[in-house]
Amino acid sequence: MSAILEATGISFSWGKNHVLKDLDLKVEGNELVAILGVNGAGKSTLLKCLNRILTPQSGQIRVSSADVSQASLLDLSKLMSYVPQSVRSSFSMDVYDVVLLGRRPHINWSIGVDDRDKVSETLRFLKLEEFAFRRFDQLSGGERQRVIIAKAVAQDPILFLFDEPTSDLDLKSQIEIMKTLRELVSDKESPKSALVAIHDINIAARFADRILLLHEGRIIADGTPFEVLTSSNIAEVFGVTSEIQEKTDYSPMRIIVKDEIRNDEEE
Amino acid sequence: MDELSLKHIENEKKQIFFIFVLVTATIFLSIIALSLGPTIDIVTTAKIVLGLQESTDTQSSIIWKVRFPPILMAIIGGAALATAGALMQGCLGNPLVSPLTLGVASGAALGAALAIVLGFTIVNIPELGIVANAFLFSLIVVYIIIQLGNFRSISAESYILVGIAITFIAGAIVSTMSYFATDAQLSELTHWSFGSLSRPEMVNVLWIGVVVVCLLPTALKWSWDLNALTLGGDDFAISTGVNPAVIRRNILVLSALMTSVVIAFTGLIGFVGLAAPHMARQLVGNDFRKLIPGSAVFGAFLMLFADTLGRTLFAPIVIPVGIMLSVIGGPFFMYLLLKGRGVNS
Repeated sequence: MSAILEATGISFSWGKNHVLKDLDLKVEGNELVAILGVNGAGKSTLLKCLNRILTPQSGQIRVSSADVSQASLLDLSKLMSYVPQSVRSSFSMDVYDVVLLGRRPHINWSIGVDDRDKVSETLRFLKLEEFAFRRFDQLSGGERQRVIIAKAVAQDPILFLFDEPTSDLDLKSQIEIMKTLRELVSDKESPKSALVAIHDINIAARFADRILLLHEGRIIADGTPFEVLTSSNIAEVFGVTSEIQEKTDYSPMRIIVKDEIRNDEEE
Repeated sequence: MDELSLKHIENEKKQIFFIFVLVTATIFLSIIALSLGPTIDIVTTAKIVLGLQESTDTQSSIIWKVRFPPILMAIIGGAALATAGALMQGCLGNPLVSPLTLGVASGAALGAALAIVLGFTIVNIPELGIVANAFLFSLIVVYIIIQLGNFRSISAESYILVGIAITFIAGAIVSTMSYFATDAQLSELTHWSFGSLSRPEMVNVLWIGVVVVCLLPTALKWSWDLNALTLGGDDFAISTGVNPAVIRRNILVLSALMTSVVIAFTGLIGFVGLAAPHMARQLVGNDFRKLIPGSAVFGAFLMLFADTLGRTLFAPIVIPVGIMLSVIGGPFFMYLLLKGRGVNS
């Protein structure tokens, strides 16, 4: 099976600050891939480069064999959808209309029956029916996040890019959102994948098929949560000591963060 | 179709109904405005306009040559300025923006001042000298906007700040010219800056109408792009397939052109472009597919209402429409914005 996303040699810098250094990345169908790293490691920048919000200085990105640098933004939006960390609205709309925006790449001007059906189906999938005719700016942070994810789902892409989708959410909402993302990539007949930049290593360990560990602009580890989330990798990237509890039949893999590593300890 | 979609369609129908109610109200107001004044009463005017009664040459001349052009100008001008306001508020993501924010009006004022005070005009036709100057200098501002759009990292805030800078520069030059102007020149310049619809030539009104009617459907075509841009900003818009830099530049140029073509003839009328889109939002929401026609109709109604009131309130003295708009629109605008927001007790 060909990869849904294939990126090679991606480099990006803000002036003299090299954020991404020659990254290679591949995502197959039905994969949920988490990107972990400290603040400023380049997680969000990587997602933005993949979606052409930012233009990398070098490298090639292909989504479903389409060259991202050459395709029109409209064609790209049919292939992938980016969910930002937060959305700042100048003028608000009803939730139904926000989700309907996800159909914008597929429609010319007027809305078809299929588009409306997709919106309703998505609202139900994300349990947003009761909010359908409430204003987006009057919802809580968690509800707003679900609406923006619904817009991305209504867009019907093959690749989802999520930038810290659980950062502002309470514990229950975090689990709900991650279960939703898992469900999004589980359809074997029409394979979709998701790349999720995330801070919580336990959430990543529990829900991701693969983890990319980003450190100082490079991917220093790529594999299953068990392969990547080792005490030594965690110490190198996050600067903390930790204890790893393996996944059992009754509980997911857990990382217990113990203490920061002081510079004299590192030496 | 399921229940959610049916309810959405029902809501959209309600919003479109509001627009039609406003269209009807504007038509009625036009007939009333045509009837106001000595010589012909309202019933006779209505019958002549609706084709139910033959008119004499004098009646026909009064209705169609004297009274009709300012009414049509109010409708076209109000619709154009309100649409430009809605588009600019949307693409710059700022509810305080009006068609005058980018400095287009200041450019026009500078052109008018050059014609009035220094006698510098680009065409040698006395009655069109000020108009042509105002239009040319507002086009120079449009050109600056196009050039700004070529900078890759230009943001919405940068457009607004450049607009403010242009306003200050043009304002300083106009003030300097006013300082050295004669009383007569100063009076003419002040009168131009009030914004007025007095006695426009029908041919000019038709030209403005053609430009506005051509530009409006283009604006409507960009409704979805504006929705994405206003809801979530640039990153969100890109993810929805919209190029924010291109759409912002195109919309600003279109809005500036619409504004230029109107204010070159009418003088500075700013309030309708700020208030009418917000008023329309209360009725049709923020979806630009309905907000653009809603703002256009609200702008047309508001301008016509203000102009009619300005002509009749202290007749035969005519209060310029720019002043009337602020006087009646301001309090109404505040009422609409504060309505339903509650008061801290």
